[in-house]
Amino acid sequence: MGHIRPLLAKEFLDLARNKTALVPVAIVTVLTLALPFGIAIAIPAMTGHALGEDSDLVRISHMASAADTLSDDGRIQLFLFQQFLMMFLITPVTGAMALASHAIVGEKQARTLEPLLATPLGTFELLTAKVLGALVPTLTISGIGLAIYLGGIGLFAAPGVGAGMASLRTFLLIALVAPASALVSLQAAILISSRVNDARTAQQFGALIIIPLAGLMVAQFSGSVWLSSLALALIGLGLLAVWLALTFVSVALFDRETILTRWR
Amino acid sequence: MIAARHLTRRFGPRTAVDDVTFEVGRSEIVALLGPNGAGKTTTLRMLAGLIAPTSGSVAIGGVQLTRANGAALRMQIGFLTEAPGLWDRLTVRENLRVYAGLYGLADADARIDRVLDLFAIADRANARTVELSKGTRQKAALARTLLHDPTILLLDEPTSGLDPEVTRSVRMLLDERRAAGCSILVSTHNLDEAERLADRVAVLDERLVAIDDPAALRARLTTGRTIVRVAGDPSAYLPAIRSIVGPGVDVAVERSSLALQVPHPERQTPAIVAALVAAGAQILEVRAEMPALEDVYVHLMGADGGGA
Repeated sequence: MGHIRPLLAKEFLDLARNKTALVPVAIVTVLTLALPFGIAIAIPAMTGHALGEDSDLVRISHMASAADTLSDDGRIQLFLFQQFLMMFLITPVTGAMALASHAIVGEKQARTLEPLLATPLGTFELLTAKVLGALVPTLTISGIGLAIYLGGIGLFAAPGVGAGMASLRTFLLIALVAPASALVSLQAAILISSRVNDARTAQQFGALIIIPLAGLMVAQFSGSVWLSSLALALIGLGLLAVWLALTFVSVALFDRETILTRWR
Repeated sequence: MIAARHLTRRFGPRTAVDDVTFEVGRSEIVALLGPNGAGKTTTLRMLAGLIAPTSGSVAIGGVQLTRANGAALRMQIGFLTEAPGLWDRLTVRENLRVYAGLYGLADADARIDRVLDLFAIADRANARTVELSKGTRQKAALARTLLHDPTILLLDEPTSGLDPEVTRSVRMLLDERRAAGCSILVSTHNLDEAERLADRVAVLDERLVAIDDPAALRARLTTGRTIVRVAGDPSAYLPAIRSIVGPGVDVAVERSSLALQVPHPERQTPAIVAALVAAGAQILEVRAEMPALEDVYVHLMGADGGGA
């Protein structure tokens, strides 16, 4: 386990010298911030049509909060902001995907993998350092985005919406489901990266991981699914279990011989 | 000491290395010589524990290398890969620091300074490796290989593409490591380097074709000719030579020398020299003709059915 730290330090240093690799996660974070504030606050203000005029939105918004203290506009804003919170699940996944899918195949192509494997570094340590090397920076950016998001709600949303966001559900999404889903997707991307022989293939396979998350978001927006706190907690724990399983599978399937002798 | 015992490695139907047995002792440099595709890199990788042999075994310091003890035994090995394998965006010092961490070296900075000084690249320590010349990159990779003071060095083409000055400094360094007790295995295409550097040369072409010290290898292909270089026209001394060696011995004039194919050079050479002196020849040099290592290599490869 002691070998993870130096390799992780290398990953951070490498990323610090290649900041463009973080541009995708920055773009997704900006979009994740711009969309909800645009839809829930800017567009109604510019068009003069309050959100509460839309009966469908009023009906769906009742799923998000039964709080009587909120106006229709406030309740709809709360509903929308809670929905868009799901976007923060996708943010780290999108950004880290490029890093993670490049992790092993990139080292191989740069011919830096063989000297690395000639050290006492174990497979688990190598893969863990690669996952954390992609996860930590993207979660940091995503976390900054999230802080701006919650701060913006407090400043610009209707009274009571900020307080409405401060719920167990929000906490579970931020503290459990988001990092757990990021871990699953990154571990899957690392697994793929160690099984294919070019980064583009790894990235294309890795992008498929976003599909279930996007499906979940669409289902929530349509009102057909509403994930309660309990459901989110179970999803988060389930994702962590999947991550652990993927970690073991990744280590088992990491075939250093094939990587060294067959990849070109 | 590192020992290969009946090492065989197959990749599907192709045999890359076939039943190779040799060892590299303490304070010894063995050059692994062979054409492209002869299995040199595969052999080095098996010795470094990077890939497993299909059959056979590797022992390091008498301990058989297994999957379970691979990480611990790799601490004793410094493996220089064919490509330097440095992270381009990191400086030389940063590259070395990562490896110092991976080897768990407590005095990392002191060791890094030492290897940087050893290769005279301390002034490039803070340069990103992408900015370095090929020679400096190779020196940095060698510095990484020696960082943890390994007792076994496995070097894949360490001087490939380097200029003569850098090549010479690498050779000197390997001499120093040998003197310090290291077991060193160097794969190379360079016959001159093998001859200058190695105590023994192992000729590999999937299987081990020959292993011996360079002089002994050359002696295998000895021509049996004695070369006598004289001042002036050598043909003037042909009658004196023929009177000594008799009609059955082939005597030829080659530039300023006489070349004699004598059956018993140790017994006959003193008499030949005496006859030449008596005939008034000024003898500049007398030597047994030895083939170049390249000739031996070509001969061995030909005998093995491989190309040279």
